[in-house]
Amino acid sequence: MNEFVEAPAAPKEETWQEEGLKRRLIGTSVPRTEDERLLRGDGRFTDDVQFAHQLEMAVGRCPFPHARILSIDFSKATALEGVKHILTGAQVRELSDPLTVLRPVPGAPQLPYYALAQDRATYEGQPVVSVVATSRALAEDAIELVEIEYEPLPHVSDAIEALEEGAPLLHPQSLDSNLLASNSDRAGEPEARIEEADVVIRSRMRIGRVTPLPMEPRGVVAVWRPGARELSIHTSTQVPHLVRKQLAESLRLGEECIRVSASDVGGGFGMKLGVYPEDVLASLHAMALRRPVKWIEDRMEHFRASTHGRESIHDYCLAADAEGRFVAMTNTYTTDIGGWNSPFGSSQLSSVVFTGPYRVADAAVERRVAMTNKTPVGAYRGYGQPEVNFALEVLVDRLARRLGKDPLALREMNMLRPEDLPWTVPSGAVYDSGDYVKTLHMAAEAVDYAAHRGRPRTPRADGRILGIGLSAFVERTGYASARFLANRGSKFGAHESVTLRANRSGTIDLYTGVSSIGQSSETAFAQICAEVLGVEFDAVRVHSGDTATSPLNTGAFASRTLIAAAGALREAALPFRDKTLRLGAWALGIEPGDAVIEGREVRHRSDADKRVALADVFSRAILGQGIPHDETPGLETSAHFEPPSAAFSFGTAAAVVAVDPETGEFEVERFVMVHDCGVAVNPMIVEGQVRGALVQGLGAALGEELRYDAVTGQLLSGSMLDYAVPRAADVPPIELLHTEVPSPVTTFGVRGVGEVGTIPPGAAIANAICDALADHGVELSALPVTPESVWRALEAAKAAKKGEAA
Amino acid sequence: MSFERTLNEQEISLTLNGERVRAWAPSRMHAADFLRQRLGRTGTHVGCEQGVCGMCTVMVDGQAVKSCLMLAAQLDGAEVCTVESLAEENGNLNALQQAFKKHHGLQCGFCTPGFLMLATSLAARGEAMSREQIRDEVSGVLCRCTGYEGIVRAVEEYLSVQQAEGSRFRQAEGSRHAEGAQQAMEAQS
Repeated sequence: MNEFVEAPAAPKEETWQEEGLKRRLIGTSVPRTEDERLLRGDGRFTDDVQFAHQLEMAVGRCPFPHARILSIDFSKATALEGVKHILTGAQVRELSDPLTVLRPVPGAPQLPYYALAQDRATYEGQPVVSVVATSRALAEDAIELVEIEYEPLPHVSDAIEALEEGAPLLHPQSLDSNLLASNSDRAGEPEARIEEADVVIRSRMRIGRVTPLPMEPRGVVAVWRPGARELSIHTSTQVPHLVRKQLAESLRLGEECIRVSASDVGGGFGMKLGVYPEDVLASLHAMALRRPVKWIEDRMEHFRASTHGRESIHDYCLAADAEGRFVAMTNTYTTDIGGWNSPFGSSQLSSVVFTGPYRVADAAVERRVAMTNKTPVGAYRGYGQPEVNFALEVLVDRLARRLGKDPLALREMNMLRPEDLPWTVPSGAVYDSGDYVKTLHMAAEAVDYAAHRGRPRTPRADGRILGIGLSAFVERTGYASARFLANRGSKFGAHESVTLRANRSGTIDLYTGVSSIGQSSETAFAQICAEVLGVEFDAVRVHSGDTATSPLNTGAFASRTLIAAAGALREAALPFRDKTLRLGAWALGIEPGDAVIEGREVRHRSDADKRVALADVFSRAILGQGIPHDETPGLETSAHFEPPSAAFSFGTAAAVVAVDPETGEFEVERFVMVHDCGVAVNPMIVEGQVRGALVQGLGAALGEELRYDAVTGQLLSGSMLDYAVPRAADVPPIELLHTEVPSPVTTFGVRGVGEVGTIPPGAAIANAICDALADHGVELSALPVTPESVWRALEAAKAAKKGEAA
Repeated sequence: MSFERTLNEQEISLTLNGERVRAWAPSRMHAADFLRQRLGRTGTHVGCEQGVCGMCTVMVDGQAVKSCLMLAAQLDGAEVCTVESLAEENGNLNALQQAFKKHHGLQCGFCTPGFLMLATSLAARGEAMSREQIRDEVSGVLCRCTGYEGIVRAVEEYLSVQQAEGSRFRQAEGSRHAEGAQQAMEAQS
């Protein structure tokens, strides 16, 4: 049990009622401000940033999963005209420190992960040499001319094998095994309850390795002005302020010397969370050459050089009494973190939500982080929650079949009720509020579950059998508090911040460090700000993602932006509004209490003739002329806000799947998602987030997999041709339903929404297939689920039956 | 730049978004890089450089193509349209762009130019398409954010409006032709 437990916050009234606000913009599907530039080709992605005299970088990477670097000869590369600078591991070690970690695995040692490999490389794709030339093509030519002598070393690709005695060690200087660290959380006496239980289901559940695969790969442009001691970085990141901190640490510069800006980011999904080796390399080259250096990741590099996600093996135990009441749950799981630690490391939230939406007092979880000779694993949308949802929800159905119970009834019997909340789970996290059972019933009704249950599982005319699968979930969105994070060793805070600044055009500049990654924060922030101020939506201009202009913040990840930023927006907007009213009232010669902001004016509450333009009021403030004597000039407010606790979103998904019992082929015919994200600031954006994440979840459930060759340890599916991302034609019909239980722990009652769709698809689909094939005795225990894996499960079930018969 | 020119650079003349342009490019440069780096049209994006993701889709001589699979030199003499050509002359978004905005057909916006150019080429066919056909047709461009629903809705709306306008236009043309034929016949008789 953790020593620190999140404090459950007392429920409170909806914030806008306190402030006397009407819901005018919050809850409205305002069209996005981001769209205007993006639809015209006027976005500014990293590769669109172009400087005079700019040079380009290419990176030479280790082709083996594990190898000693014996020698590097770059004489031929240097001789190539147009080549300006080459870096190898030895120089990098002289000029910089290892990459730091933002979210350390508690108890893990700091690994010496330099931007270029030192004597050994521990994954295929680890940078070994970098070259800067007048063009990218020339830099790549030069990489071809660098002669590197490798001695391939024994490697280990499988996380379970990596932890076995005698496995090749990845980091013997820091660790005497491949176990980076392990942590556990527990409540009650699960072992004793398991002993007493009537039914115990144990299973090993495997979740495959996938890649977040944003459409824009990573990229960085570094510009160094030595006289000014200013390193200016344009990069595709979710966390400009955190990249600045990490770059300062690795480059041995003061943070004051570094400016990081991310204008438009072409998707992140957790993968663009912190510093990568190439960011350090481009900076080192730029500092050595005093010329701008650009590096844009190509897609082949991306598959090996950008962090992967998910891969983990969960050994679950679910114990119940004869009625089906859950009495204990344990999960010992191994996450594969790959060859080095990444800024966020492998998924940590499996330990927080491993008991799902269920009332289980006795539960224990142990997380073991294994190092393997593969690309490092980092954060990916859901960060441990899709993994644990697949394992638990598939086992709930397995338990139902064992007991001869209805999976829906079994879930309902065990689900936490609204009156059970707030509920503290073994990790110390607190589920804040919600009606979980309601979403279960809504999903079931939407797919006519009751009628289906009563029907036999016989093939339709097309030879396929129909199955329905459910998956219920609770999702952690946002972070509890800086104190909770500190307890886990995190090197970032839990707050968001904004600055509001009046300008002479009568509009408001809103500055935020949150970069624009597709989550629509520019639109949502403007909605909330305009709502509180009383101005029109388009009177607020959001400037995002530049550390030089924005107040220090945390960043766009963990479905946390709005959870924290909603509070900061309100705290900054209220004093801004009050001063506007005081200055406006003074200009009109009325009492501030009689003044209101409407549209682009301050006016008298009841006398429509008394009005002054915001442009006038703001100009007075900026000039310091025509304002009361006791007022200071200027109209600018900043606020930092940390939510008192994380908000937990929740819901249930139902999949309708038709399965061919001969071949294992199947098709998802319907997918229903019932979801609660509290108060939706912009329902259109919410739908977009949920749908988009669902399709990523469906991709990971149905086919996406990064496979490594069992013998050579090479990545087999490392290109867009080999890695099957869902296309428009692959997406099954999706229906979305929402409930709206405002969260008591956030401003305006919002819950996070960015990741939720990735959580339930795997379990819902696996459960539907097992339901369809219930008479065949098929069980599924691994993601992705493919026709091949279903066919193999059918064959295994047949063999088992034969064995029983014999 | 001067150095690269010695590496088999060649001069390419083309019509880009209605404007005659001429520029130099190395023989090995692909068309997407050429449009971005030599002609400054950065609205066309590069996502995989192997013809799968479709980020670099532009129109060449009326056809949607993945410009990372073409060499810059192949654009010589061609008529090329990129996303920068879509907005109306008065600066407003065109009907396709408006449909994308209305239906939330974009999030990060990186894939959007590819979808817009592909949809523009579909509209040029002047055929009615079912939602299923649209899903198949746009499967050559990938999107990782939206789940495609908004994109498909936007393209469907745009195509149906274009088709209706197209058929009105054809009808009008047709009746003009018929009138003309009538007059010609009357003149003959």
